Amino acid sequence: MTVWIVLGVLAFVLMLMYNTLISHKNQVENIFASVDTVLKKRYDLIPNLVASVQQYMSHEKELLEKITQWRSLAMKPGVSDEQKISLDKQVTGALGSIMVAVENYPDLKANENVMHLQRTLLELEEQISAARRAYNQAVTDYNNIIEMFPTNFMANLMRYSRKAVFETAEHERKTVDVKVLFKS
Amino acid sequence: MAIGRRKRLSKLTDYFYNELHGDLKKLEVQRKELASSVLYVGLVIAFFASLLTYALLFKSTHAHSEADFLPLLAGGGLFFFIKKHMSSSYAYGFKEKIIRPLIKEIDEALQYHKSHHVSQSYFERSRLFRKEIDRYSGNDLVRGEIEGVKLQFSDVHAQYRSRNSKGNSSWHTIFQGLFIVADFNKHFKGRTAVFPDRAEKVFGRLIGSWLQKQNMQREELIKMDDPEFEKHFVVYGSDQIESRYILTHAMMKRLLDYKKRSKVPLYVSFSASQIYLALEHKKDLFEPTLFTSLLDYALIKEYISTLQLAVGIIDELKLNERLWSKE
Repeated sequence: MTVWIVLGVLAFVLMLMYNTLISHKNQVENIFASVDTVLKKRYDLIPNLVASVQQYMSHEKELLEKITQWRSLAMKPGVSDEQKISLDKQVTGALGSIMVAVENYPDLKANENVMHLQRTLLELEEQISAARRAYNQAVTDYNNIIEMFPTNFMANLMRYSRKAVFETAEHERKTVDVKVLFKS
Repeated sequence: MAIGRRKRLSKLTDYFYNELHGDLKKLEVQRKELASSVLYVGLVIAFFASLLTYALLFKSTHAHSEADFLPLLAGGGLFFFIKKHMSSSYAYGFKEKIIRPLIKEIDEALQYHKSHHVSQSYFERSRLFRKEIDRYSGNDLVRGEIEGVKLQFSDVHAQYRSRNSKGNSSWHTIFQGLFIVADFNKHFKGRTAVFPDRAEKVFGRLIGSWLQKQNMQREELIKMDDPEFEKHFVVYGSDQIESRYILTHAMMKRLLDYKKRSKVPLYVSFSASQIYLALEHKKDLFEPTLFTSLLDYALIKEYISTLQLAVGIIDELKLNERLWSKE
């Protein structure tokens, strides 16, 4: 009798651990799907942006080529989550540089299409930033549970391994001053 | 921003002393007279109520019960009723001559309705307090539109009634303080609510956060990536990403600053394109004092800063900076 009770309790604890691990893994995947959606929205803007600015931006040709390249890499099927994360970092940096460079071209600054793109990008950046932060929290919780006792044994058996987080860029921590950005 | 705000506080204090001090002095004379007559009435009532209770307790032969103390209770009730009646013209004068001009001075666009309050439906829509409301009251409603942002706030008192086994009912406060509703500058579909963090304060981070997770009444727990903010608040929301879209790092910092400045527990919620703030003062605000001087500087400062803090949310939380999607 006692043996059965002990076995029952043990089975229950194992089930609880297993389910917790699964729910954490799924949370990470769900949120990554949302991150992916907003990232795609931003990638969709890139061809339009490049087309609008390239005739003016003679000094940033290389940068524009690179960003187009990264975009097509990210849009390829079968890209891993880790690759997407590292591509996002590069694209975010490059887009930032383009936006700064726009300031040097008075024609571009006054261009309505470019202005609209800038605003759309800014809004998307806010959404991406929120999605990244949600993803990072989900990954942190996941990484914690697979390394903490006693779930770490079960995680090992299930071959769960640590996942990478998005690095938060310093500028994201600062206040985005919309008024300054749109001052012409 | 902080400097700008301080400047305005000093400007308002100047305005107060230049323009309103004369009226306040007159009200102070009225207050002193009122205070002594209220005191007199109180003593008379207390004397007769005690006499009656004494007679019931020691001079009558009936079986004693709690009912013998009824005269004291009735006397207390009578006193508060008379006091309210006696001070109504004084309170009216105070609100018309002091509070109304002060609000106009803060912003021309603001309207003041001294006997109205933020409607109960707004209070309920904030979903900050889940207890069913049995009695809802308030006063001193201020509303208007500043830089395209609609804003309203008032004193609010929400209560519920409970009954004990004998069938006697008693009233309990759900919330009392300043309730503010304003347009929010971002689009969102779900709900996000920010509460003062009590569990983490009492039980520490690990157990506190576990307890918060078990809170079935609320939606999903959203852990924020700002340690200072997490120390003071706990966030629940219907969507992990959307809550972070609303609560950016900058917004968390502003809410923290706002909370520190207000010095009272702060509840915030975001729902249906609006932001709701509840500042728990646990007392009726914007009321004149009766037994202490009206001319006390600390008191005047409290009136001014409470008003300014309420109107200031538009600047402090930058609700006037519209994202293009909400233009």
